[in-house]
Amino acid sequence: MFFHIVLERNMQLHPRHFGPHLRDKLVSKLMKDVEGTCSGRHGFVVAITGVEEIGKGLIREGTGFVTFPVKYQCVVFRPFKGEILEAVVTMVNKMGFFAEAGPVQIFVSNHLIPDDMEFQSGDMPNYTTSDGSVKIQKDSEVRLKIIGTRVDATEIFCIGTIKDDFLGVINDPGAAS
Amino acid sequence: MSFEPFNRLVRLAARAFYDDITMKGENQPKTGRGDNRGIAVVVLDALTKRQWVREEDLAKSLRLHSKQLRRTLRFFEEEKLITRDHRKESAKGAKIYSAAAAAAIDGQVVKEGDEKIKMHTHSYCCLDYAQIFDVVRYRMHRMKKKLKDELDSRNTIQQYICPNCGRRYSAFDALQLISYTDEYFHCENCNGELVAESDKLAAEEMGDGDDNARKRRREKLKDMLQKLEEQLKPLAQQLARVKDLPVPEFGTLQAWEAKLSAVARANGDANGGDPTKSSQGQGYGGTPMPFLGETSVEVALSGVEVKEEDTETDTKTTPMKVLPPWMIKQGMNLTKEQRGEVKPVPKIDQSSEPVDDKKPKDIKEDDEKNIQDEYLKAYYEALVKRQKEQEEAARRIEQQQEENRTSTSDQFTASVSERRVGMKFKREENENDDVEWEEGPPPSVNTGETFYKLADLNVEADAVADDEDDIDWEEG
Repeated sequence: MFFHIVLERNMQLHPRHFGPHLRDKLVSKLMKDVEGTCSGRHGFVVAITGVEEIGKGLIREGTGFVTFPVKYQCVVFRPFKGEILEAVVTMVNKMGFFAEAGPVQIFVSNHLIPDDMEFQSGDMPNYTTSDGSVKIQKDSEVRLKIIGTRVDATEIFCIGTIKDDFLGVINDPGAAS
Repeated sequence: MSFEPFNRLVRLAARAFYDDITMKGENQPKTGRGDNRGIAVVVLDALTKRQWVREEDLAKSLRLHSKQLRRTLRFFEEEKLITRDHRKESAKGAKIYSAAAAAAIDGQVVKEGDEKIKMHTHSYCCLDYAQIFDVVRYRMHRMKKKLKDELDSRNTIQQYICPNCGRRYSAFDALQLISYTDEYFHCENCNGELVAESDKLAAEEMGDGDDNARKRRREKLKDMLQKLEEQLKPLAQQLARVKDLPVPEFGTLQAWEAKLSAVARANGDANGGDPTKSSQGQGYGGTPMPFLGETSVEVALSGVEVKEEDTETDTKTTPMKVLPPWMIKQGMNLTKEQRGEVKPVPKIDQSSEPVDDKKPKDIKEDDEKNIQDEYLKAYYEALVKRQKEQEEAARRIEQQQEENRTSTSDQFTASVSERRVGMKFKREENENDDVEWEEGPPPSVNTGETFYKLADLNVEADAVADDEDDIDWEEG
């Protein structure tokens, strides 16, 4: 799920940036530092949409770096248990398959794949129904439900299932090409 | 007795879950003689008959070795069924406890320890009913959930196990476990191939993989679930029964002792200062146990009684019950009291009017509508009647005029004059009417203001009538 929230961060700025464009430097450094990172609490920071407030800088002793407390608005993405996501399959093996929904990695183990789909090895490993009408392989798009998340300080990993109504392949690259 | 349902719960739980638990040190070889299954049940049963009890005493009365008992108790402590307390105390301290215990349990003569001031660590234990209730509930919930989850193999997180080193992984670790050489997961320790830990409950005797096995497994799981529900039914019932009861609590050992001694003193023993003496005579068979007078249950009960009395007197003072608004329907013959309008104060200020009426507004409006409808009906009837009268009157006048009229006068002017006269007449007669028209136009054109005015006039009148009614009711 996406959220638009306000976060705060202390930015350290090198003295060489002090000058007329200090604020711009600060914002660009903030974007570089923050966008794409993941915090266990808020999820992945997708984009910074605005800077609300830059507090007074504090010169660090010894280094000359200055610390600015910065409040910024950003869009974060955090997966939740029970959420339905659409994801792209990145790897298929005997144990199940891995998929990515943006920055989130999701693993669907083989017992959470419908019983009528079977693993086919080969140079393009895939899961196929017995009549061959549905095939999950690399780059397939699947709709899945998250049944578990492991949230570490800097990483979120999910377990999904496609063994439910309306879940499964939504776009098969093999069929299109 | 408030303890009884909880004690029953404990006994049921003991038989359900701790029946075949052996309390065995790992170092002891299992021999026929050492087989002590069922000890757990015995200990729990014994504890249901006691409160805080010193473990040595418990061991003595159960004729168990204190070490064995302690092992059992430690197990129960881990299972969160009992609370234990250890404290160092001199012989004197032990005496205080003995006194309390004697008061609480069965007046058994506790051998008084040697008088040397020597510190010993004594352990005490008692059942923690509140926690037992939660533990048992949680345990049953987990059992059911586990079976159900496996039954529809949905929302279960797959476990993987390394056959070499026995290390376990969950599907959350999948990302770290994939190897790029083949399509299996590999152990982080020994690089062995991981196997999915299939639903081990049922999969033991059948190889899994083929559809048949899966089907059979499902059946077996279903069977197990059914059996579980069936066999734990008495326990579940007891849980449900106990759910709303206040949980008996002993408090900590210190609090319990303090309470007991306080009760003993309050009981008016002449030598209340000395707890050993004061408590000698009391036991199971004798006077009711002193601490039971203080259980929260009885207090709560008396509170309830008082409340009931209160409500009773309340209902007595008000002769008629106020019907809840949803019971009032149109066409019901109700007094104002029944409708919940007890005191309709004459209202001059319209805006303040809805505030002092406790009834929901829509019902009130409904009432008003009724009244208004009746009023309107009556009003229209009156109107029709009056119109008829007017017509008659007009006709009479016409006749008179006809008689009075000179034959030479023009037909036209005559009709005009006639009309004029008629109108004037009408106006005179309708003076009151007109005022009423202003006050009571049909509801569709109404503004809220006049609406209320109308209704209020009526309500007042009705209320007066109803008040009289009520007095009649009371007398009857």
